[in-house]
Amino acid sequence: MTDVSLHAEALHDHHGPPEANQSSRVDARTLGMLLFIGSEIMLFGSFFAAYFFVRVVNPSAPPEWPPEGYHFPVFVAGVNTAILVTSSFTMHWALQSIKRGQRAGFLAGMVLTFVMGLAFLLTQVVEYVNVGFNTGDGAFASVFFGLTGLHGAHVAIGLSLLGMVIIRGFRGHFSPEHHHGVELPGIYWHFVDVMWIVVYATVYLL
Amino acid sequence: MTPSHHGTPQAEYPAHFEPPHGPTWRLLFGPGLVRGGWMAGAGFVFGMLLVLALRWWWSWDPYWNTEVILAVAGMVTAPIGFLAGIGSFDYWLHYISGRPTRPEDHSGHGARSWKDYFRVNTDHKVIGIQYLVTTFVFFTIGGLMAMFFRAELAQPGLQFVDSQTFNGLVSVHATLMIFLFVIPAFAGLANFAVPLMLGAPDMAFPRLNALSFWLLPIAGIMFVASFLAPGGAFGAGWTGYAPLAEGQPLGQTFFNMGVQWAGASSIMTALNFLVTIITMRAPGMTFWRMPLLVWANFTTSLLVVIATPFIAGSQFFVMFDRIMHTSFFTPEGGGYVLGYQHIFWFYSHPAVYIMMLPGFGIVSEVISSMSRKPIFGYRLMALSLMGILVLGFSVWAHHMFVAGMADWLRVPMMITTLLIAIPTGIKVFSWVATLWRGRIHLTTPMLFALGFVTMFVIGGLSGIYLGSVPIDIAASDTYFIVAHIHYVLFGGSVFTIFAGIYYWFPKMTGRMYSERLGKWHFWLTFVSFNATFFPMHYVGLRGMPRRVFDYDSAFGDLNFAISIASFVLGASFIVFVYNMITSWVRGPIAEANPWRARTLEWQVSSPPPIFNFDEIPQVVGGPYEYGVPGARHAIMSPSKEAQEVHA
Repeated sequence: MTDVSLHAEALHDHHGPPEANQSSRVDARTLGMLLFIGSEIMLFGSFFAAYFFVRVVNPSAPPEWPPEGYHFPVFVAGVNTAILVTSSFTMHWALQSIKRGQRAGFLAGMVLTFVMGLAFLLTQVVEYVNVGFNTGDGAFASVFFGLTGLHGAHVAIGLSLLGMVIIRGFRGHFSPEHHHGVELPGIYWHFVDVMWIVVYATVYLL
Repeated sequence: MTPSHHGTPQAEYPAHFEPPHGPTWRLLFGPGLVRGGWMAGAGFVFGMLLVLALRWWWSWDPYWNTEVILAVAGMVTAPIGFLAGIGSFDYWLHYISGRPTRPEDHSGHGARSWKDYFRVNTDHKVIGIQYLVTTFVFFTIGGLMAMFFRAELAQPGLQFVDSQTFNGLVSVHATLMIFLFVIPAFAGLANFAVPLMLGAPDMAFPRLNALSFWLLPIAGIMFVASFLAPGGAFGAGWTGYAPLAEGQPLGQTFFNMGVQWAGASSIMTALNFLVTIITMRAPGMTFWRMPLLVWANFTTSLLVVIATPFIAGSQFFVMFDRIMHTSFFTPEGGGYVLGYQHIFWFYSHPAVYIMMLPGFGIVSEVISSMSRKPIFGYRLMALSLMGILVLGFSVWAHHMFVAGMADWLRVPMMITTLLIAIPTGIKVFSWVATLWRGRIHLTTPMLFALGFVTMFVIGGLSGIYLGSVPIDIAASDTYFIVAHIHYVLFGGSVFTIFAGIYYWFPKMTGRMYSERLGKWHFWLTFVSFNATFFPMHYVGLRGMPRRVFDYDSAFGDLNFAISIASFVLGASFIVFVYNMITSWVRGPIAEANPWRARTLEWQVSSPPPIFNFDEIPQVVGGPYEYGVPGARHAIMSPSKEAQEVHA
């Protein structure tokens, strides 16, 4: 009898691939996300390289930064930084909630995170409109819009990932056993936040 | 990806996935090239309207800006529309919209007819072949361009084309060969071989794998289509130096964006390889038992993931400078011109190893199995790959010795450059030591592998010359550089690709290629390659500058000879294509293991079963233990006794 069922199983196996061997304790999707973030860090690295080439290495760099007559909205961007950093905590709260099976906390955390991310992005758009210079106003403006714009694009990607989690969250697709779909966008969101702290410190404070 | 048969309730699926619709409806709205076509058009219109609306909203004059519209609509939204149309995103869109995802029904696996190669297919073996055929199409186009400008260069003065077209031909030739041939051809071979070699049923992310293939034709079409742009193709070379590139006609934007698509494709593939190699090795397949091709792709993928974002950055900056009036690299606006070269070469020097290391892996496989001997110094071979990986990031400025960069940077860069000769030398000596007293079988892949070793040594030696500052200053921007790069990338990379294609051809197609035609192909290529590129060393040292359409008539005879040889080189490719096509269609049926090789892909049928293995094999030893009594690499579908032994 065992032989027969084994045989049946073997036949069944031919309809699908054999289970791949797990040769690492690291989950494949998490590893993929971490490698992707590594690649993203290098993309930011190229923008930081351009920034410091223009500002430091460049023999014709302006003596003042930003050049006379221009200034960066340090305070507004600072408030924006606080918003984004807070959203990292709500993200963490959402993940911990779904791990414990607390659906209300999970959904509230996700929506709060999304709203704060959206607020950050809209503030940045308003900041661009009122900043007092445009992309054509010299190299300092190029690297300013370069770094902050690249980061804004990443916030937008992060937001679409969060939006995806929210849609699926409201449909009840996550549970304490299945929360990978929350964890991975969460990792990405934390990366976007940490990267913003570096960008803010470089562009506005340094 | 035919989603027609799955047993989930109908109401939960979007209407257009349901079989009741007629064949015409499915053709138009089901995933495939037709939907890809019209969705690309829709994407273009959407992008165009988006640009117009935004420019109108900000009241920018004029609303219509061809370059911006082409960059956004033609090179971002239209390709995304195409990808969505062929069905690359179907699964993810299901997931995102919160609908239940279809359980993997594996209908996307395998190819039942040639039409399946024109679909989004998640089978790594199909994707590998898709990659290889696509890359050889672009290899042909790039090669024809080379023939064309060699015809122009056969005599001093202008014969056939104007200077901008000449520059365009040279630039597109190099760009296609690098981004659409060497890099993705290696990705294609590895896509086919690496999961099999690891004992894995597929790559870690099959859908991402399919997507990364389909980005490639987009990039290729962009590069070729730049000839249709007003003003002609981009003519600033594949290096696209700023600010030269910023004064180029519209075609340069095609280069800027094409590189983004090709780069995204190779980052995704590399990420997939890394995750597959780390998490999906068969039981017993430790890192020190992996075949060297897997090692080579592991290191290459690390290089790609770390370095490729830098070329993305550099091309973004140039494009911003061109269409958004920024001044990253324009001195008038306070930009830093040399910054481009630093950022560009920080990718593009590691890219030289991206274009070389997988070839090292292929050659290690071929040389070991064709000389029936274990690889000499297996661990050192793997470690030298890692050594090249690390050193490769510290040498980029040796491309800039004459660019006016800081003087103090020259000598450190020279030293690190020359240091790379050590791990590379280890590899060459290991191959030679592997051959030593081996039982050498001079099959076509082996001929190409040996041709590679000899040609690569010549290219490597001229590289050592060029790595030292004084010689570089003298030889910079001459044909000596052209000779060097072709010895490394043609005599090096392309020979290894041919070796790999011949080596795995029986595994991929289940048929044997014609050994006689293969040998003809090798000898024709080998001789005409040397006849083409060796004299370039000489004309270069005599002072003929590269990238020029006109030259001193003193070089006329040699250039004529070079052009003739290059046509023979081009003709030798016809032998290859003929051999491949006829052998694929009606070659003799190949055995599972015609080379009696030890690695896992040869232990399954030719072509491999749809899911590679019935059961994941148990790896028990190294992959190259030829002639070692009692040594085994793996136990396939473990028998009862084996299970008892390992229990």
